[in-house]
Amino acid sequence: MTAMIRTMAQFLLLPILIVSAAILVKGYADTGDGFSAGVVVSTAVLLQYMAYGYKHSARIWPVKYAPQLAFSGLLIALLASFQSLLRGEAFFSHVPAPDAEVIKLGSLELHTAVLFDLGVFCVVVGFMVHLMSLIAQASWGEDRGQDSGTRDQESVVMGDRER
Amino acid sequence: MPLIPTVPLLLALLAAPLALLAGAWRPHWAAPVSASLAAATFAALLWGWWNGGGSLDLAWAPAWGLRLHFSLDGLAALYALLASGVGCLVLIYSASYLPAHLHHDGRSQKEAPRFFFFLLLFMGAMVGLVMAQDLLLIFLFWDITAIASYYLIGYDRETADARTSALMALLVTGISSVLFLIGAFILAEAYGSFSMPVLLEQATAGPMLTTATLLIAIAALAKSAQAPLHFWLPRAMAAPTPVSAYLHSAAMVAAGVFLLGRFYPLIALSPVTQNLLLAIGILSMALGGFLALSRGVMKQILAYSTIAQYGYVVFMLGIGGKVALQAAAFYVLAHALCKSGLFLTAGAVTEATHKKELAELGGLRGEMPWLAFGSGVLAAGLAALPLTIGFFKDELFFKAAYEHGPRYVAAALLGTVLTLVYIWRFWSGIFLGKKGADVEHRSLLLTLPVLLLALPVLIGGLWPGLFTPLAGAAAGVMYGESLDLHVAYHFAATPENLLALSTYALGALLIVGQRFWAGPAARLAAPIVRYGPEQWYHGSLAWLNRLSQRANAFDIRDLRWRMATILVAMALLLGLSMLLVPPAQTWQFALPALSDLPMVLALGLSLFAALLVLPVRNMFTLVLALSTVGYGLAAVYAFLGSPDVALVAVLVETVLTLLMLGALVLFPDDLFSFSSPLPNKPSLRWRNPLIALAGGLGMFGLSWSLLGSEPAAESVADRYLELAEAAHAGDVVTAILADFRGLDTMGEISVIVLALLAVTSLLQWRRSNS
Repeated sequence: MTAMIRTMAQFLLLPILIVSAAILVKGYADTGDGFSAGVVVSTAVLLQYMAYGYKHSARIWPVKYAPQLAFSGLLIALLASFQSLLRGEAFFSHVPAPDAEVIKLGSLELHTAVLFDLGVFCVVVGFMVHLMSLIAQASWGEDRGQDSGTRDQESVVMGDRER
Repeated sequence: MPLIPTVPLLLALLAAPLALLAGAWRPHWAAPVSASLAAATFAALLWGWWNGGGSLDLAWAPAWGLRLHFSLDGLAALYALLASGVGCLVLIYSASYLPAHLHHDGRSQKEAPRFFFFLLLFMGAMVGLVMAQDLLLIFLFWDITAIASYYLIGYDRETADARTSALMALLVTGISSVLFLIGAFILAEAYGSFSMPVLLEQATAGPMLTTATLLIAIAALAKSAQAPLHFWLPRAMAAPTPVSAYLHSAAMVAAGVFLLGRFYPLIALSPVTQNLLLAIGILSMALGGFLALSRGVMKQILAYSTIAQYGYVVFMLGIGGKVALQAAAFYVLAHALCKSGLFLTAGAVTEATHKKELAELGGLRGEMPWLAFGSGVLAAGLAALPLTIGFFKDELFFKAAYEHGPRYVAAALLGTVLTLVYIWRFWSGIFLGKKGADVEHRSLLLTLPVLLLALPVLIGGLWPGLFTPLAGAAAGVMYGESLDLHVAYHFAATPENLLALSTYALGALLIVGQRFWAGPAARLAAPIVRYGPEQWYHGSLAWLNRLSQRANAFDIRDLRWRMATILVAMALLLGLSMLLVPPAQTWQFALPALSDLPMVLALGLSLFAALLVLPVRNMFTLVLALSTVGYGLAAVYAFLGSPDVALVAVLVETVLTLLMLGALVLFPDDLFSFSSPLPNKPSLRWRNPLIALAGGLGMFGLSWSLLGSEPAAESVADRYLELAEAAHAGDVVTAILADFRGLDTMGEISVIVLALLAVTSLLQWRRSNS
């Protein structure tokens, strides 16, 4: 079971990240947005947690900086929405203005609304990843030994507290 | 952007974070950096005012008539210069005072930057407040000053006294600030704008205006510590001395009088509010002056003195008219200089001798000659002796009272005589008479700010023309047209000179006969202090505490009761709303078409999973059943053709299920086995199903009546679809989230970050407790 989950986690990591990047980049042109992309990334992190345990995942993932990621996401969103005040317009007046020319990179359009969406993405990823690591830390603590991550992980997923 | 209000404003607002950064890098840099930032703000303000002021007007949310509108006018210049100038001197003083204070209390020097941060935050908020020209901006800065004052007064957080006092100041000034907000909304509703200039133009006398100005006046009077809401100020003396010197002479209490000045053109239209100011002013003058006579602790004398002195100003504003407004503005200026210096004197003396009571002090003039000289000048200024700036403050004060009538002259005379007597008692008690406590150590940095404050007091006594333009301009803003203020010594038997002479004579008489009235005054003062309005405060606080505990016990103790209150209240409100506003169309019943079969199946799956929740006793199965409900609904969204919603629903459902399973591990074991017996009283047996049924029926009725109604002919959705292309969006849902309704999203992600903080503190608290 563990081996299967680990293999799956390894195989799926890259595709999940690519899907999430696609959702984020295409968000303004197609279905999906920063929120969905953020949740997709956090499922990838969650899969790593389940396969390798908290200790190991905390090392390979920038889990440590998740709160900072959430806060910088909020800052990015604030900047993207309040930049218009400096130009003397109401806040949330995005640049370029409606109907003006936009620089396009494929389907990605360089637009402050997209930047705002990126902020939402960072907030969601930071929130979810940190929440998961908090729950993981709290539930099996640091005193249960180094390599017990997998067993404990399974116990979470399989619900060994069934009576 | 215009340079003039922008540069001083930005300097003032950025000072606090910059000082914090400097302090985080090198703790001992916090003090010099803060003092130079305050000095820079002062210089920028002076430069701005010298060049005629200016205003900055940025669109904030123009659709709601909200603008970021700041202007540096005469009134703003007076208060902002006081806040930054006195602030700078207080910061220089703190550079020497604070390390000793922290050392004395056995605290780490790393706590110093916090002090400088909040002091500068206060200064920045004060500068913002006086420049703000929009009611909501005024409210915003007003509340920042209250929050900063809470941390400053409670800076010695280990002592219970400091914590209680800080909370008291926050509650008294914070609750009353809500009155200001109500007043602001009344004004905005009545005259259609939050903008001060528009309001001043449009306002007309009437009951609306009277109500609004009364509410605003109460908020301002509470901030200025006027009777009967004065009691927080003497308590706030628990703060470190620089805080008292700053907040309770030039900044926090001055903010209240400033607000009265800012709204003065509106207050002048309402005789009721004007009379209230008159009455409160006289009451505070008499009460503060009388209680200051018999206080034993140095800072307490000064605290009651502040109540009395701001009583003068409120009294002047209550009289109104050209002279009284000039007197009020000049009074604020002169008083702030003198009083902050006297507070610093009290701190310097306590630091040198470790004594706070006048009874333990005395005869320090030989050992601290410079401090004695500086504070002597400041005391003379407060007591309005000639050759100090204070003489002119009282001259204008007498002139205004004399113009208004003999009764007010008597009140004014009472106030000035009391001031002279208690200030003499304060100064002579420290520096003259028998030798009290010994001086252990002296510090130049503690004496220097006192001397620097004495300097303008002396210069103002010889050359008042240096200060009158500032006070005159402030009075002009209150009066509504520019005023010229001239003061000079007149060697003639004018009423003002005669009143000044009578003040000196009566004061001297009282000082000489001190032993005849000192005892009775102290006996009379004791019950006033003990049974005063402070008891009402404590009483209402205790009552509110009990109320909150009862509500808490009802709500928190039993999760089932909490669910019941939410569900029953929801059902009642929904049922009531449907009874009062019946749905316009008749209820429709129709069988689904064959093409809708996949959707019906998905709904059926959700229904089955929802019913499964009822008999299941196992937590794990319960979570899976609940997530099945969610997946079924996600499928329904997909069939309805909203891929965005379906995508989000699937993702959220996945992560939520996994997190819920993870969180189950955190629960205590016996919760899962239902081993703890439920209270299965027969009377309660039907309670929970009934409550659940009521909540479900309410929701059902609402959904049906909303979904069953005809779609509106014109909907905002069409507009969004039209606009999406212009807004460079291919996907209208994303455009709504990031652009059209971006403010909502902003609010939501802020809540997410706040939730993250809450979860972090909860889970880490749990860990540190296990």
